[in-house]
Amino acid sequence: MKSVVSHQASTPQGTTDSLGSKLRRKRKNGVAGYAFVSGYFILLALFGIAPAVYAICLAFTSTGGHVVGLSNFIKTGEDFRFLPAFENIAEYLSIWLASLVVIVIGLALMLHSISRKVSAAFRFIFYLPGALAGAASVLVWLFMLDPTVSPWRLFLGIFDFKNLGQTILPGHLPIIFAIIAFWAGAGGWIVVTYGALNNIPNELIEAAELDGAGPMQTALRIKLPLIKKWITFMLILAFAAGTQLFVEPQLVGEASLGLISPTWSPNELAYYFAFQNNNFNYAAAISVDLLVIGLLCAAVLVFRTKLFEVE
Amino acid sequence: MSSPIRSKEGRRRLRPKLRSSVLAIVASALAVATFGVATSASAAAAKKPTITIWVDSTRVPQVKAYEKAHPTVKIDMVTYNGNANGSGSLQSRIALDNRVGGGWPDIVFSEENNDAASLASSQFNYPAVLNNGTVPSKVLGGYAAGTLAGCTVNGKVYCLRNDLAMNLLFYNSALMTQFGYTVPTTWQGWAALGAEVATQHPGYIVGSVGDNWDDDIYLWPSECHVNDVIKTDTIVINGADPNCTRATQLIDPLVKDGSVTTDSVFSSTFGTTYKNKILMMVGPAWYGQYLFPGIVTNGDLAVADPLSWGSGPTVTGEVGGGLWFMSSHLKGATKALTASILTWLSTSYGSQGISPGYPAYVADETAWVAGQQASGLYSNQIAPVFAKAATEVWSGWSPVPWSTDSVFGSTVVTGINSGQTLTSQLSAFASQLADYAQSDGYTVVTTP
Repeated sequence: MKSVVSHQASTPQGTTDSLGSKLRRKRKNGVAGYAFVSGYFILLALFGIAPAVYAICLAFTSTGGHVVGLSNFIKTGEDFRFLPAFENIAEYLSIWLASLVVIVIGLALMLHSISRKVSAAFRFIFYLPGALAGAASVLVWLFMLDPTVSPWRLFLGIFDFKNLGQTILPGHLPIIFAIIAFWAGAGGWIVVTYGALNNIPNELIEAAELDGAGPMQTALRIKLPLIKKWITFMLILAFAAGTQLFVEPQLVGEASLGLISPTWSPNELAYYFAFQNNNFNYAAAISVDLLVIGLLCAAVLVFRTKLFEVE
Repeated sequence: MSSPIRSKEGRRRLRPKLRSSVLAIVASALAVATFGVATSASAAAAKKPTITIWVDSTRVPQVKAYEKAHPTVKIDMVTYNGNANGSGSLQSRIALDNRVGGGWPDIVFSEENNDAASLASSQFNYPAVLNNGTVPSKVLGGYAAGTLAGCTVNGKVYCLRNDLAMNLLFYNSALMTQFGYTVPTTWQGWAALGAEVATQHPGYIVGSVGDNWDDDIYLWPSECHVNDVIKTDTIVINGADPNCTRATQLIDPLVKDGSVTTDSVFSSTFGTTYKNKILMMVGPAWYGQYLFPGIVTNGDLAVADPLSWGSGPTVTGEVGGGLWFMSSHLKGATKALTASILTWLSTSYGSQGISPGYPAYVADETAWVAGQQASGLYSNQIAPVFAKAATEVWSGWSPVPWSTDSVFGSTVVTGINSGQTLTSQLSAFASQLADYAQSDGYTVVTTP
């Protein structure tokens, strides 16, 4: 904003008249902007900020409303389900984030270097699974994973899976959930990354080509560093969404008539505390754990990549 | 800069924009407020005596039968998963209702036998006490002896049983004759026959261990002490109990030779894979009407007494059975009406006659059995078998606030699916049960 004003002040045409009309336009735009944002802001305050503040209050108080300091965090941390849940989610996240970064960026770079028409068709195909809502996509996967009905039963047969129970053994779950998340979410990120690549000025790429850079070198040395911030942005959002994994283990657990622990992920554990033990304070403590982990990771990524710095 | 003309003009130009912005803000505020309006509108409608009943899909015909018989009573029927397999959806709902102080379902059906212990606890305080005159004592007295035990916490009865779900030995009488086998009476005899079937008739099965309630089918009748509340807040959990290992050691070789399948009996292809290939299967009474039709040819199914262990009295386990609860948050006429509906659903033959389970209410049993017999499913007389088995459920398997079945599923059944033996998973099963018990405030001991 500042730079716009100083720019205006220093323009030679900056007569009183044109400056006034520009300021007026600016003010009008400002008001309209607030109006547009207001709908989102009201909902954010009601359903985003207020619940978060409520959760933080709950996390530091007892069921009776007394302040108990860190007691809820210690008690939930000592619970026998706490570590396994966080181990599960860590394993899942490492698979999901690694595949997201490598495959999404790889595919986006490839799409960016082929003809526009072909790449548009591929982007549409990649995006399609993402059009299914979360729960619906899990249902699709339940069929895929059950060797007795799956269209891929031959493939599942290679691993000697004879029934759904064998496909969804505890050791397989992180990779299965990562595949589901990738299938449903990667398409959207490919489109976003492709958009970021389109922002790269053509002159830069042409200059690189003139200097003798091949497609690989252009992709890795020119394009990749220029979309670093987009990758960071993707990682922050994917990490936050990934730590909150809930629908997948819950639905697969129900579909297998209870063969997955109801506290597989931290979010499920919080749900269990809230609704099976009626202890909303413990649940809030776990959600604050997740919030802190998410914020810390976001902070590291933001500062390391200077995400918010404007050149 | 501050020319009056210009600023006036500016204001004039700004006004329509301002107006539209204000409109936008008001509109979004209104959109948010609509939620509130909608809620209070439905609250007003709820003031008419509409009784909300939550049931699983299997119980829907029973509620519909009530509506048909009582057209003046307004019923709002909601179907949910019946709180089955440790899903805890009922607890979730009650916890939320408790938090907002309203919205409790008036009547709820649950498939989870532990729900009286869980819902009546101070954490939920949901169900109404029924043996204080809410339900006539004549009705309560009409239940088979001991069948309301799972509904009773500290002398207060919190629910009415829908059906008795004691385990029996189902067998295919046509196959038995064809193969020249005799029906076993002991677990050892059952296992020996399983081994024979595996060599002589591979592909035929004598049981299944693919479901999370199989602890009720194999460990409960073996008097395995992993779920025995001996006094308030003290529970016996001992995975090394010989009563547990004698059952698992019997089953392990049968899983290996394939005569006991690891497929879930409700998996999508169970019916086609094992059509007329189930020689025997131990299972709850409701398997008869709910699982076997279509898998066993009509007229070939037979039931035998629960298997014994050779010495001591024969005991059996049970799977589900179903509990009817009513809300403790009702008063006056609505409470009386709800209690009458609850009683009708759980005791009248109009309701029980169409339920797949063996009625817990004695007066309905004869007619229900006659109906089953007339359906042509069974080749032998089921009445004496059902009546005897109903009294043989072992009392050392207590209702607890967590789902034992769910722990069995995520430890033992997943262990079997990854190629482990049942016996090797018992310690993991027991230690996780102990974790649950301790986190719920129980003292865990290993001997009764």
